[in-house]
Amino acid sequence: MQMPGTKYVLAVSGRQYSVWKKFIGSSMASNVANPILFLFAFGFGLGQFIDAMDGMSYLTFVVAGMIAYSAAFSASFETTIGSFTRYFTMGNWDAILSTPVTLTELLMGEVLWAAAKALISSVTVLVVGWVWGGVPSLSGALLALPIVFLASICFACVGLAATAYAKGYEFFSYFFTFWVTPMFVFCGVFFEISRFPEVIQYIAWAFPMTHLVAAIRPMSAGLPIDLTMLALHSAYILIISVIAFVAANRKMRQRLYD
Amino acid sequence: MNAPAIIAAVDLKKKYDDLEVVKGINFSVEPAQCFGLLGPNGAGKSTTMRMIMGLSDVTEGSLEVFGVPVQKMTRNIKAKIGLVPQETNLDPDISVVENLETFGRYFALPSALISERVPKLLEFMQLTEKARAPVMALSGGMQRRLVIARALIGEPELVVLDEPTTGLDPQARVLIWKQLLALKKQGRTLLLTTHYMDEAQRLCDQIIVIDEGKILDQGTPQQLIDRHVKGHVFEVQKPDLAKSTDGKWDQEDIGDSVLYFVRSTQEFIADLPENAVYLHRPANLEDVFLRLTGRTLREN
Ligand SMILES: Nc1ncnc2c1ncn2[C@@H]1O[C@H](COP(=O)(O)OP(=O)(O)OP(=O)(O)O)[C@@H](O)[C@H]1O
Ligand SMILES: [Mg+2]
Repeated sequence: MQMPGTKYVLAVSGRQYSVWKKFIGSSMASNVANPILFLFAFGFGLGQFIDAMDGMSYLTFVVAGMIAYSAAFSASFETTIGSFTRYFTMGNWDAILSTPVTLTELLMGEVLWAAAKALISSVTVLVVGWVWGGVPSLSGALLALPIVFLASICFACVGLAATAYAKGYEFFSYFFTFWVTPMFVFCGVFFEISRFPEVIQYIAWAFPMTHLVAAIRPMSAGLPIDLTMLALHSAYILIISVIAFVAANRKMRQRLYD
Repeated sequence: MNAPAIIAAVDLKKKYDDLEVVKGINFSVEPAQCFGLLGPNGAGKSTTMRMIMGLSDVTEGSLEVFGVPVQKMTRNIKAKIGLVPQETNLDPDISVVENLETFGRYFALPSALISERVPKLLEFMQLTEKARAPVMALSGGMQRRLVIARALIGEPELVVLDEPTTGLDPQARVLIWKQLLALKKQGRTLLLTTHYMDEAQRLCDQIIVIDEGKILDQGTPQQLIDRHVKGHVFEVQKPDLAKSTDGKWDQEDIGDSVLYFVRSTQEFIADLPENAVYLHRPANLEDVFLRLTGRTLREN
């Protein structure tokens, strides 16, 4: 067993970055346009009917949720559709594994880039939301970014685990229906989960997304922060990341080398 | 031949689930030689190569590369091997040079070294004019040459080439032959599979012929020719065949005519009827291959 080397992990992420750079225009355009559309719908539309939620303006509430969701979506997409294409369709992983890069480094490189890309998209949401007036505490929101990054790693690892089990692209429709969409619906992006029946609340807390939203929302809202809760949320996200990464690595190894 | 073998396989086996595709093969590849792995479709050539690369687990037996079991292949050893896979798997999202540069980074080469090697490799495979082109804009033959260039970015001591010239035009094949021989002269070891017997005959110092996961025979091209097809082939049209029928001649019925493998041409011609219609040519590796592996189609 070879210890993962930073240079090799970065070589893998670097390849993704250099491809992304070529399409930076379109990718940034959608990064900016997406949250604007959502904020338009939820801030103007729904916001008119809702005065406050969870002790803050509805716009503030939604911006925090959108920062989290954009990271979740972006990271999940990258290590599922993106990674699967590189692995299965392009033979990119086969090429990389014929070099000194190990499978673990390859997977780490995929995760690292997915998380970086997710962070870029949540920063864009943050900027748009701030300009819109939905970020009362900019410094708080910036301090939340490391947690967003950690959660993006988690989403990327879970996506990668799905990729390791995927037989074809159809598989990802399950992944998006039963994992990504619920993050949008059940994890407190648009309303407090305390409004759900208790059972649903338990399920909601199983999603790392719920922990991410709960961790960062008070920060960008400028509310008092409970450090213990912050640590617990982060720890949960970290544990899920590790489990997902190990599962992805194990399954992929079996799939590639057996 | 005293130097330690670059690759040594002993009773090497590979099973995919219950399907055994490599059934206990033994061979060793000496330094600075071109070693040919020949066999029909599905013989297990690519599988063997993937095991050598550490890309496929060995099911049974032992396989050492640079003196170390593949299961314990370290990064340093991996860095000494370059692979040209059977399926071209270039990166379509980036340009020709970027493909080489990116690969250099997978080998953790310093940027300065990468910038020094890339133009040389492009030159070596005559791709300099295409340096900035997207991979998608290359013809199949150019892509194949780029895959070879890419395999050389780490200046490998061992180059594993899985059908490097399949689908190439004669000009491109000649270029690749020339450059492979140049690599050999530099002391690099080549492991080659090909379905072109002329190519194997020209490039390989040692050959093993495998079929259905087993080695049928092994030797230099000349040894194999001497052993299996004597030296000369006479293709004689039916019905005016050689007069001696008592197993004097090594022969094979191929339908409308019969092939005779003979050492002494004069003696054989004397044995033919006056009006025999025949074709005479020196025996080659293709004859060996067909004799060893039969003339029926594989993977049907
Ligand atoms: N991943 C795999 N899973 C199951 N069977 C496989 C796998 N890869 C190869 N095989 C089978 O193993 C056998 C040997 O395949 P291999 O690719 O090694 O043949 P080859 O000698 O390279 O043939 P070709 O000349 O067609 O490239 C074939 O029957 C093939 O179907
Ligand atoms: Mg093959």
